[in-house]
Amino acid sequence: MTAEVSGVINTDNLPMAEDRDGSWRTMRQHPLVEVEGGGYAVTHRDLVETVLKQPSLFSSKKAFDILGSPIPLVPIAFDPPEQARYRRILQPFFSPRVINPKEPELRRQIIELIEPIAQRGSCDFVAEIGAVFPVQVFLTVFGLPLEMRDQFVEWKDAVLDLTSAAGETSVDAVAQEGMQKAAELFMYLTDLVQKRRGQPGDDVLSQVLSLTGDDALTDEEAIGLCFLFVLAGLDTVMDALGFGMQRLAENPDKRREIVDDPELIPSATEELLRLDPPAPFLPRVTSEETVLDGQVLPEGTRVSAYLAAANRDEDRHHDPYTIDFHRGASPHISFGMGVHRCLGSHLARLEMHIVYEEWHKRIPEYHITPGTTPRVHWPRGTTGLDSLHLTFDRKDSE
Amino acid sequence: MKVTIDHNLCTGHGMCYGNAPDVFVDDEQGYGQVAAGEVVVDELAESARYGASSCPERAITIAE
Repeated sequence: MTAEVSGVINTDNLPMAEDRDGSWRTMRQHPLVEVEGGGYAVTHRDLVETVLKQPSLFSSKKAFDILGSPIPLVPIAFDPPEQARYRRILQPFFSPRVINPKEPELRRQIIELIEPIAQRGSCDFVAEIGAVFPVQVFLTVFGLPLEMRDQFVEWKDAVLDLTSAAGETSVDAVAQEGMQKAAELFMYLTDLVQKRRGQPGDDVLSQVLSLTGDDALTDEEAIGLCFLFVLAGLDTVMDALGFGMQRLAENPDKRREIVDDPELIPSATEELLRLDPPAPFLPRVTSEETVLDGQVLPEGTRVSAYLAAANRDEDRHHDPYTIDFHRGASPHISFGMGVHRCLGSHLARLEMHIVYEEWHKRIPEYHITPGTTPRVHWPRGTTGLDSLHLTFDRKDSE
Repeated sequence: MKVTIDHNLCTGHGMCYGNAPDVFVDDEQGYGQVAAGEVVVDELAESARYGASSCPERAITIAE
């Protein structure tokens, strides 16, 4: 049995908006924390591993059933063995060998976004880079015209607002509008999948649709995959980049390390991801009664893996609340672990590397605009900054 | 030294071949492989240990 009872924590009251480190520290007081409103938070690395490595006992499918998505979110809304099939089919399309050749085109695009900002001397990084670049990456990878960007930003904002509000009972005007936009996105994707089927192409969607035999996906499955990419691949990168740039703006000594030695950027990216995973809660639901950390959990208990808390285990990360780009091996789990590990991690890393590289080549010195405060929207199922206003010396146009 | 990857545990994070590309390589699916089969020469021992310790799934074992 657990030695002492930790008491129930109301996570809505965590000071997440302006103190993420303090929030995770509070949650780490016990490995298993009962949360107000039902269920448990798992906050220490070993216990998180126990949960994420037993996908049949701690079901992802049951957790996403609660979300009530009208279309199947391939593959997170499935448990093995169905999930394994999707995973096997989709993983090759997101492997480094397939993703890395996209680098020159994506680099060209991020330079095009950063150049005008460098000449202006200020920006809202979240709105002007974070919200648009991942959408451009999605369009590029799926072979869609970049002109669709602003439309997609509008659609995904509406869909994400809907999912983050899931469980709330009030259906107000905003929700109605969200449903309308989600329906538009759904119709667009349905039409797209039908058009692309049978048309050979280099993009991921055409290739997924050209699979035959046992690996062939139905239209519904392919639309679910597109929807998941929109849900999982856009704001996550925006939020990770926003957090990373905030920490770099607030810690000029750390920023200078990567400016002076850009080869540090991959390890800096991992360290910033360790501190601020943008999807810090992985929801699971028990499929039968089980005992976790001495606590009996009945079937149907909600259990959330708190990745940002688990990434602060003293046993694995020395001085875990400190930013250190020289940690060496630092096996954070910001992309999750086990069978549901983030499929898009290689693409996400590539995006983050080239943003940090191209930004710091052009804008090595910057600070948070006086009078503005980057704040995390909270409470919410994912974490990210609403805005990040940066100010810097203007670069003269050549 | 002998370096093995448990392919039941590997989920393709890519940390081993990212951190120690002289010892580990990716396969077409993005899973890790030991470049030289299993036996790693002494000169690469430190790199092999580094790659192994960076695996979030603890899928890599090293026998000295």
